[in-house]
Amino acid sequence: MPLNSLVEFLVNGLKKCGVLVGALIGASILLFTAIQLLEGDPIALRLKNPDPETVALERERLGLNDPLLTQYFNYFENFMTGDWGRSLITQRPVVEDLFSRLTATLELTLSAMFLGVLYGIPIALFASSGSAWIFRKLSHGLGVIGVVIPIFWLGFILIVIGSLWLNVFPTEGRFDYTYDKPHVTGFLILDVLLAGRGDLFGLVVNHLFLPALCLSFYPAAVVINVIHPRMQDPITRNLIMSLKARGFGPVRLWLKHLLKLAGAPVVTALGTSFGALLGGAVLTETVFSWPGMGSFLVGAILEKDLFVIENGFLFIILLVFAVVCLADTVAFSMDPKIKKGGS
Amino acid sequence: MNRTRLFELLLGLILLWAFVGFFYTPLDPLSQDYTGNRLSGPSFSHLLGVDGLGRDLFSRIWLGSGHSILMGLVATVGNLALAALILFAEQKAPAWFSQFILSFVSGWLAIPVIFIALLLLVFLEQGPGTLVIAAALGNVPFTFRQLRVLWLYQKETLYVQASLVLGSQSWNLFRRTIWPNLKPDVSGLSKLIFAFSLLEVSGLAFLGLIGDPDFPELGSILRQNKSYLLADPWQVIWPGIFLSGILLLVQLSRSEQE
Repeated sequence: MPLNSLVEFLVNGLKKCGVLVGALIGASILLFTAIQLLEGDPIALRLKNPDPETVALERERLGLNDPLLTQYFNYFENFMTGDWGRSLITQRPVVEDLFSRLTATLELTLSAMFLGVLYGIPIALFASSGSAWIFRKLSHGLGVIGVVIPIFWLGFILIVIGSLWLNVFPTEGRFDYTYDKPHVTGFLILDVLLAGRGDLFGLVVNHLFLPALCLSFYPAAVVINVIHPRMQDPITRNLIMSLKARGFGPVRLWLKHLLKLAGAPVVTALGTSFGALLGGAVLTETVFSWPGMGSFLVGAILEKDLFVIENGFLFIILLVFAVVCLADTVAFSMDPKIKKGGS
Repeated sequence: MNRTRLFELLLGLILLWAFVGFFYTPLDPLSQDYTGNRLSGPSFSHLLGVDGLGRDLFSRIWLGSGHSILMGLVATVGNLALAALILFAEQKAPAWFSQFILSFVSGWLAIPVIFIALLLLVFLEQGPGTLVIAAALGNVPFTFRQLRVLWLYQKETLYVQASLVLGSQSWNLFRRTIWPNLKPDVSGLSKLIFAFSLLEVSGLAFLGLIGDPDFPELGSILRQNKSYLLADPWQVIWPGIFLSGILLLVQLSRSEQE
């Protein structure tokens, strides 16, 4: 990479960090305000003996009697140092609870994204380069499925086909509890390999496949909806025609030239849709009883679990923003058009 | 009659059918039948069978479609109104403030609707109303951006410039010159927003955020019937067919407008 484009890349990355800091401050203020508007006293709800004195003592211990500004700065400082308090319900550290759930969700989300891109890009490229009609139909159909079929119903249909009729996949859960679950990173698919239990790998993939397939229609639709119009562009059509005329085979044409053209916008679109994908993951988890953060967050909200709401939500919002910024930065370094100072 | 018109007509009929559900269903969607024919398949008295608590599935789906569609429609109207209001503010405000609105909206865009709904539930009661508010708020950034593009395009067109030069008042300019050109796009956009809202409302109900678990709504029916999935898959398949059918009609009725 030449020096000036490296500088440009770094400046762009710094700008993205600025966006991230802005999001952190904005979201933390919003969340803090929301907590202040909370109805009922969550502390009194949790105590076995809610007489005013005990409640006051407990509030004092948790620092809820300080002036609002002090409370806010304490909250912000604690969030940044990773001291997220204990859940009012399970009494376990919020960090532990959240991350054990979050890794399950991320495993599902990332597998779905991988799967969706894996079949979405070839379908889109085949469909756009004017080959078999079946790919055009497939690409159109996939683009529509995303908006027409609710993801939670699709999950049920997959269970009916895959578990009930074919009897190949389990109906729910992440792992078979007759075996000990290896614990290294929290991502089971990596953990079984790291723990040297290659024999369990099939089991993990078997549990993961249906939920990931269910969720993968969304990223696949995103990829297709981004690539397809670009390939219909007259300039691109001419490029395809001239490359074909020069005798490029399909593999070289798609892998070397068309993928490069489509790469940057696909990365941006995937990054932007990451939040929606997490939302879809929450629904998919409910269908497949996947032990992810969906049920955890819903429970925290319904039980008014202060510290989970304050810190868990802030972390997830930050995560979504970080992915968007990361995708933007990667796309920036991939796309020569953006580098030249275009949009 | 072209294809889009045909689908619009079909969509209208489905909406009408769904709203009839508020006044008439073949059997009471809430009353349980204790005669022991739970999870029995379709018959003449129960067109789509009986659910696990002995309630007529077809009646539940009929009233449920009505509820889902009504919630989707209210969310759509609220969403369009709010997005238009923000656009108005953004256009009229001083530059620094409209810049602030723009960056605020792009941040908002990144947060999924489900999280917005969950955050609303921190200080609102569970119930259909909250889900409608969440669905309306969740799509505001999307609608705002779409409306803004349409508006900026219209503002620059020659006929609007000409009308301005001729000295037309702003309200008349909007009503006679801009709106007729904007109308087809806004109508297509509102159908899209309706589809999104319907998906979101039923998705949130499926998560159990609607409060009363017996409230007949397509998403909450799916949630309740989830436990009978292995015993009788049709309990879960039917509500989804109705939901997807409505969404498909919405999509087909707007496909040619783009």
